Amino acid sequence: MFAVETLDLSKRYGKTDALRGLNFTVNEGEIMVILGPNGSGKTTLLMILCTILKPTSGTAKVVGIDVVEEGTKVREVMGIAFQEARGFWRHKPSSILRFHASMFDIDPAKRQDLIERTMKDLELWESRDKMFMHLSGGQAKRLETAKVLIQQPKLAIFDEPTSQVDLRGKRKIWDKIRELRDQGSTIIVATNEVREAEYLADRVTILHQGQRVVCDTIPKLKDAIAGGDIVEVDFEDPVSGKLVDDLNGLGGDVSLSSEGNQLRAKVSRAEDWVPKMTSASYIAGAKIASIRITEPSLDDVFLHFTGKALVDQP
Amino acid sequence: MSQLSRLVRIARTDFSYFFRTKWLMAVLISLSLSDMLVVGLVYGRLIPSKFAGLTYFQFLVPGIVVVGLFSAATDTGRRIWLALREGVVQYYLTLPIRTGGLVGAYIISGGLGGIVYSGALLAIAYLALSFLGASTIPIQGILYALALVPFLFILATGIAGLAAFFASVSRRGEIYWVYAQALQVSMVTISTVFYPAQTIAQYLPAPVATIAEYNPLSLAAGALRTSAFAGNPLDTIVLTNLLATSLPLAMLGAFAYWIILRTIRLKGKP
Repeated sequence: MFAVETLDLSKRYGKTDALRGLNFTVNEGEIMVILGPNGSGKTTLLMILCTILKPTSGTAKVVGIDVVEEGTKVREVMGIAFQEARGFWRHKPSSILRFHASMFDIDPAKRQDLIERTMKDLELWESRDKMFMHLSGGQAKRLETAKVLIQQPKLAIFDEPTSQVDLRGKRKIWDKIRELRDQGSTIIVATNEVREAEYLADRVTILHQGQRVVCDTIPKLKDAIAGGDIVEVDFEDPVSGKLVDDLNGLGGDVSLSSEGNQLRAKVSRAEDWVPKMTSASYIAGAKIASIRITEPSLDDVFLHFTGKALVDQP
Repeated sequence: MSQLSRLVRIARTDFSYFFRTKWLMAVLISLSLSDMLVVGLVYGRLIPSKFAGLTYFQFLVPGIVVVGLFSAATDTGRRIWLALREGVVQYYLTLPIRTGGLVGAYIISGGLGGIVYSGALLAIAYLALSFLGASTIPIQGILYALALVPFLFILATGIAGLAAFFASVSRRGEIYWVYAQALQVSMVTISTVFYPAQTIAQYLPAPVATIAEYNPLSLAAGALRTSAFAGNPLDTIVLTNLLATSLPLAMLGAFAYWIILRTIRLKGKP
């Protein structure tokens, strides 16, 4: 059974199709990152999964429970950290967390310790006496994350969990999300931040204009780009035409260019090509001074699959 | 945890929000106390005549208590509007409680706000009467006041329901305040909260006088005067009328708020 499964899921707002026949699955115990630019349908999908929105057509199930037919049961097993933090303006963070914990039957005996520990982990403890309306954007986002962490739901959903959070805070939140996965939760993270996706994802689903473009692990997505890895080799002597011919003869999807002592190769899988290249160079008597391998970013992956940049360029 | 206990927790949280809004507390309390202690006591000494066997203070205070109940219960609408604007309602929609439970929680918290606030005003009025010796309070009056609490609670839920209705149909906050003020002016003006029924019958057309007579605020103020201050037994007809006029309001508001939540689920916004 999938932790999340949607079948032909569509959502229409007036004349706008936010989701168009989406088929999407998440395995139990994995972190699925949904990558897509603003307006790609990420938030709409999450809102349907957490039962705030009803789909226009199609079905969505969370741990086998239909989100439309049995919304209350779905809400018992899932938790969401919203993109925009939602809290009672005149309550303090600990009071908001206590309310949340009580709504999800967190053991009263462990509740206070859990809240205190989570607030300290997310560096919210110093702000414990501030009312929600006086928290900074980053603090409010951490509180949003804290709600899900103390809840430890079967399905945890994070919508852009580190927007407005500083670099140090981002790392903390990411580590806590991975910890939550290790404790058994299935996790969905929606983001348009490449670093976040790279750090967290077990698998990535790329959404574009309300449809699933591709879903796989990050290495496989990168490998799927022809000439995806770039290998730069510096030789001690100028690169000979014979060596280039030999390397072209190694097979695979490769594109070579050389200038002076340097050879530049675009290959599908550097880990396969580099050992062959070093053997061929050794046989040809060409001494290697250095090798640099760079791989495409998720930006490149997104561009490859959708033809558009993930984040609009200024 | 049962749906009921979750409903109670949400109602309690929303109820506490009312008392955490300090500016609102300051405005309400200062108005109510100045009306009661200045207008009621001072004018009471200037106007020695009695209205239906009550001093001016005894006549006025039930009106102030009922208006306090009205103001506190109406704040439900403001909280609903804020929850819609700030997205808290979407958070509520992710909690493991049915939509009907969420609606019920808001209406109940409005009822609680009204009853606690007006109960405090009534207690202050009793204390003022005792300490200032303006008049005596029959002990039965206090018992009758306690017996009236469930009926006043229903009235407060009805008013909270009306406020929920206006919050639900208000696109902007300013519009909600216009509706709330219009409601207050019309319900308090066309009532016997501050004037005897005979005065209204004397100066206003008969249909208006009838509306004023069956206005739930009039019924509540009348019951407080007759029983909580004059010490007469509770009139079951008045209490029945109070329930009959308050419950539909509560149901109307609950239905309107339920429609709004359903709209959010369909359109993503109210």
